[in-house]
Amino acid sequence: MGKKFEITNEIRKLRFFADEMTQQQLAEKAGVSRQTIVAVEGGKYNPSLELAFRIAQAFNVPIEEVFQYRVIEKKKKTNKKGAQS
Amino acid sequence: MTYQITRTITRILSGAVLLIVYLVQVTGRYQSGVLAMNELQSLAQLMLVFIGIGIGVTIAVEIVFHILYSVGIAVKESVKVEACNDKDREKDIEEDIEKNIKQEMVEDEMAKLIDLKSLRIGYVITGIGFITSLIILVLGYPIFLMVNILFGSFFLAGIMEGFAKIFYYIRGV
Repeated sequence: MGKKFEITNEIRKLRFFADEMTQQQLAEKAGVSRQTIVAVEGGKYNPSLELAFRIAQAFNVPIEEVFQYRVIEKKKKTNKKGAQS
Repeated sequence: MTYQITRTITRILSGAVLLIVYLVQVTGRYQSGVLAMNELQSLAQLMLVFIGIGIGVTIAVEIVFHILYSVGIAVKESVKVEACNDKDREKDIEEDIEKNIKQEMVEDEMAKLIDLKSLRIGYVITGIGFITSLIILVLGYPIFLMVNILFGSFFLAGIMEGFAKIFYYIRGV
């Protein structure tokens, strides 16, 4: 069994609950460009610890409510020869 | 299209135009006999002139790009002002326009990381160009060709760096 790690986020949900906060508004609060927020929200970029805290602060929630670190269990390909013997 | 991607495309285009103009100049001068295979002084002069032109063009393109991009954002946002009749609100929107321009042009940690990653690709291409130029020399080709490959690899590295940036901005880091 191979292990793969993944960082997921709840930014879209948190923006929705924060009065449908726009990506632009969040970018202003976090002090980054809108493009960075788009990338973070889409899982294309893992932010630094500092930016992660700033995003969490923008929503007034602890960091673990915004970002989650998950371990994905990945099955290894079974060897046919090994399986036969 | 975002500010960073548009800026990178502008840089790629200006770099490509400079490279083409340089190649046309060198080929033309070589064919007309102004540049000789073993005479590097004229070639060095031409290269220095092109480095100077390159710096000037890059600065000019950056300035024009920033002006045009700011105007573009302002025009887009001014539609809001036209739709608004309240004068107090108009002031707010005008402030928003300024804020949006600044916000769009901010260079944050992701932009810096992408810059570093694409710079690495640029270095690799320059290195490949350097090795190729040495191989060319070892194979017995004239030094004229070696120097041109070396010079061209700098330009090519700049262009490829731009493509790498666009790739990272679209796909993510």
